[in-house]
Amino acid sequence: MKVTVKQVDTNIIAAVEGSIDSKTAPDLQQSILPVISNTHKVILDLTEVTFVSSAGLRVLLMVYRQLKARDGKVVLVGVSEEIRDVMFMTGFIAFFDICPSVEEALSSK
Amino acid sequence: MDNAAKIFPASLDSLEPIRDYVSKRCEVLGFNKKKTYGLCLAIDEIATNIINYGYPKAGIGLGIIEVHMADDARQLTVTLIDTAVAFDPLAHLVPNQDDMNKPLEDRPIGGLGILLARQNVDEFRYERRGDQNCNVFVVNVSS
Repeated sequence: MKVTVKQVDTNIIAAVEGSIDSKTAPDLQQSILPVISNTHKVILDLTEVTFVSSAGLRVLLMVYRQLKARDGKVVLVGVSEEIRDVMFMTGFIAFFDICPSVEEALSSK
Repeated sequence: MDNAAKIFPASLDSLEPIRDYVSKRCEVLGFNKKKTYGLCLAIDEIATNIINYGYPKAGIGLGIIEVHMADDARQLTVTLIDTAVAFDPLAHLVPNQDDMNKPLEDRPIGGLGILLARQNVDEFRYERRGDQNCNVFVVNVSS
């Protein structure tokens, strides 16, 4: 798994590649949590993510909780049908905005 | 009927190789992406439990996970065998519908993996055979 984090204005965009399982989820957490402490919008680009297990959902939950505490939001981009199914099954889907592209995620309110 | 088995070290580094091993068979059987993904997810979740809790609780430094696969015209059966502490995922509490409807900030996070394991295959069984845990995942070929 690989994470590329960049800042656009006050937004943080994290593009993730590969699998988010119990092996890689801690790395994802360490790449994202420290850099989002002042941001109000986090965009997670999952276009190149091939697999997400409950360990990955746990990281999403931590990001969500941090943002929610200061009225921010987490926008997911490029969520595959399979990952969407997993998020639906677990009731996670309702808490994230899902956008087709990073550009739309940046301009979403 | 076709049988195959492979032994993996019970380490988080084995998760991806285990998923690859299983998904290659799914590909040969012509499973669609959704079915393959569901089976790999179910297996990943149970293997993670064995690695993170089962063997450490048994005081075993580095155990093994055997992955057995058997298929016929009707179904693919994958069995994970380990010698960690006895653990029946079916006896474990999983989040219920009330939990699922809770806002994410109040949500209990435990048990999610087991829920995903059970929901993503057509049949999930657990058996304790001697000192072995056998987690059995069955996927129907045509469903």
